[in-house]
Amino acid sequence: MPHEWTRPPSDTGPVEAELQLWPYRSLPKRGFAGFVGGTAALIALPLLMVLGTPVLWALLPFLAAAIAAIWWALARSYRDGEVIERLEIRPDRIRLTRRDRGRPERVWEADPYWVELRLHEGERPVPGYLTLRGAGREVELGAFLPEDERRALAEDLQRLLARIGRR
Amino acid sequence: MADAAIHGHGHDDKRGFFTRWFMSTNHKDIGILYLFAAGFVGLLSVMLTLHMRLELMQPGVQFMCTENVGANPIMTVLRSWVPTASEACTPNGHMWNVAITYHGVLMMFFVVIPALFGGFGNYFMPLQIGAPDMAFPRMNNLSFWMFIAGVALGVASLFSPGGNGQSGSGVGWVLYPPLSTSEPGMSMDLAIFAVHVSGASSILGAINIITTFLNMRAPGMTLHKVPLFAWSIFVTAWLILLALPVLAGAITMLLTDRNFGTSFFQPAGGGDPILYQHILWFFGHPEVYIIIIPAFGIISHVIATFSKKPIFGYLPMVYAMVAIGVLGFVVWAHHMYTVGMSLTQQSYFMMATMVIAVPTGVKIFSWIATMWGGSVEFKTPMLWAFGFLFLFTVGGVTGIVLSQAGIDRAYHDTYYVVAHFHYVMSLGAVFGIFAGIYFYFPKMTGKMLPELAGKIHFWLMFIGANITFFPQHFLGRQGMPRRYIDYPEAFATWNMVSSIGAFIAFASFVFFIVVLFYTLAKGKRINVANPWNEYADTLEWTLPSPPPEHTFETLPKQSDWDRSHAH
Repeated sequence: MPHEWTRPPSDTGPVEAELQLWPYRSLPKRGFAGFVGGTAALIALPLLMVLGTPVLWALLPFLAAAIAAIWWALARSYRDGEVIERLEIRPDRIRLTRRDRGRPERVWEADPYWVELRLHEGERPVPGYLTLRGAGREVELGAFLPEDERRALAEDLQRLLARIGRR
Repeated sequence: MADAAIHGHGHDDKRGFFTRWFMSTNHKDIGILYLFAAGFVGLLSVMLTLHMRLELMQPGVQFMCTENVGANPIMTVLRSWVPTASEACTPNGHMWNVAITYHGVLMMFFVVIPALFGGFGNYFMPLQIGAPDMAFPRMNNLSFWMFIAGVALGVASLFSPGGNGQSGSGVGWVLYPPLSTSEPGMSMDLAIFAVHVSGASSILGAINIITTFLNMRAPGMTLHKVPLFAWSIFVTAWLILLALPVLAGAITMLLTDRNFGTSFFQPAGGGDPILYQHILWFFGHPEVYIIIIPAFGIISHVIATFSKKPIFGYLPMVYAMVAIGVLGFVVWAHHMYTVGMSLTQQSYFMMATMVIAVPTGVKIFSWIATMWGGSVEFKTPMLWAFGFLFLFTVGGVTGIVLSQAGIDRAYHDTYYVVAHFHYVMSLGAVFGIFAGIYFYFPKMTGKMLPELAGKIHFWLMFIGANITFFPQHFLGRQGMPRRYIDYPEAFATWNMVSSIGAFIAFASFVFFIVVLFYTLAKGKRINVANPWNEYADTLEWTLPSPPPEHTFETLPKQSDWDRSHAH
């Protein structure tokens, strides 16, 4: 599922963790390769009939364009989901970086002791909207995740922040 | 990160009429546009049918007379609906050829696929997989308006100067050379452009569907958990991606042969008209599976719902559709048994065609097994599904007969072929469309089509279409050729019967149109998410009726759709 503790928090000692979140895409890269490859192989079959004739050159541009188009479309679909939110938690600093394609990185940093984690009930913008408030701003986290994953994540983060708060 | 949007976007629908319907990026609205457009073009094509069956009702030519031809093509058409005595009528073979050509072109490219794939596919596939819209909403809109442009070019072709000093091209929907390369006038070129544009529209639509289906399924929805209709749309899209570019190549070669001095298909220049047939049918056979596979998907859902049982054998049903799609690519020359291929080639295509009966049989028996032991409720959608099951099977078995090259030697280009494909398409795909309309109308509009009217429509159409097409088997066996304006006296009886059936079926269509628009205007709102029963268990039935502009903006939970009914 699209979140991963790249540095998982340890149960003892100072809280140091790193979490990455990204929107869900249902086709793994191997599936992409298999589908485009299989389609290209099948679409090339009619060319076997006409190898060595001018007809090959009449058919080839259309077949190549079709494969190029589906390749581009799937690649564009992956690109549209290339949002990464990276949350770094240290005892003295919490930092959220969001990378969207086509715009500069956005960064939020605050003192974790004073940071407030809030899970907003209601349907808008998403059910169980998760925000972090600190350093004069309130930022969202994981709005693109499925609801149950976001709620589970909220519980984990609340525990981590509570440990920092008790230090 | 995005700064928090708590007091966020309460989204009122501020779109004006023009923006909503002419610049749509909403898959539900575009689906509705496709359905209405396909229905309208279907009505045009059915009018052509009516004209043809009027002419064929009696031996001799009474309607399509050269005496009716004038400078104005529209007046020519109107005059040709008025009968004259056979003695006073010189047969206008060109007008007949134009009628059969455009009936075929409109139905094959501009009616059934836009209705099933463009209409129901666009509307319901994203809902069934829990996606908020298609992967490329603006390209979706482009596909629809390119389809409309294709229709416009087709109609323009009908009224443009063509062969025999008259309007329109009389070459058959398959556009075989040398007739299509030598037909004078710009009508033929416009027809080629119409097919180009609609082909491009379909390819872009297919790319959109494939990307959405593969990359935008809800979390947890592995490929083996996707509902059967969504699978049917994906397989269809894949077939479109593979087959349509080949058609584009073939008709481009026709265009260059006509206008740029090439001779791909002219023997005088070293070309071969049979080459066109091979390339065309390489597209043409998958085309008929493109037409029918979405109907398979709809029928699966309707039968499961109204038998109050999960579909029998979900996974074999999926792989049967894939197998039918793949096998459909290796059987094309069964449309060409009489062109002079070697016996070895004919034997191969015969065997390959027979193999397709296996996955098709798996599906038919699975639908029957779904009903077996179930609690069957004969609501209107189920009537259409029953009709589909029986009549598609009848059409399928005559297909097996035609697959035999020796038998096809006699049946090729006779009414036996016409009967076969009308059974699988008019009584197969069209029944699938009506099953979908009656099943999904409450979801799309929040109103129910009246049950009694639905039953009357079904029975009129069932009786009418069967009376139209069953006798055509007899005519074919007796040797009546297809695509002929007239016939010897001996064929008179069954032609009369067939024409009467056509009028009954047309009456059923008119009745349906009246009921549809009356219900849209004045039907009672029921606004129930699921008006059927709990076996309609896919995600679209969890939404309000009609669904709001935006659906599944948040990912659905697995418990919303994974009911483990069938998998």
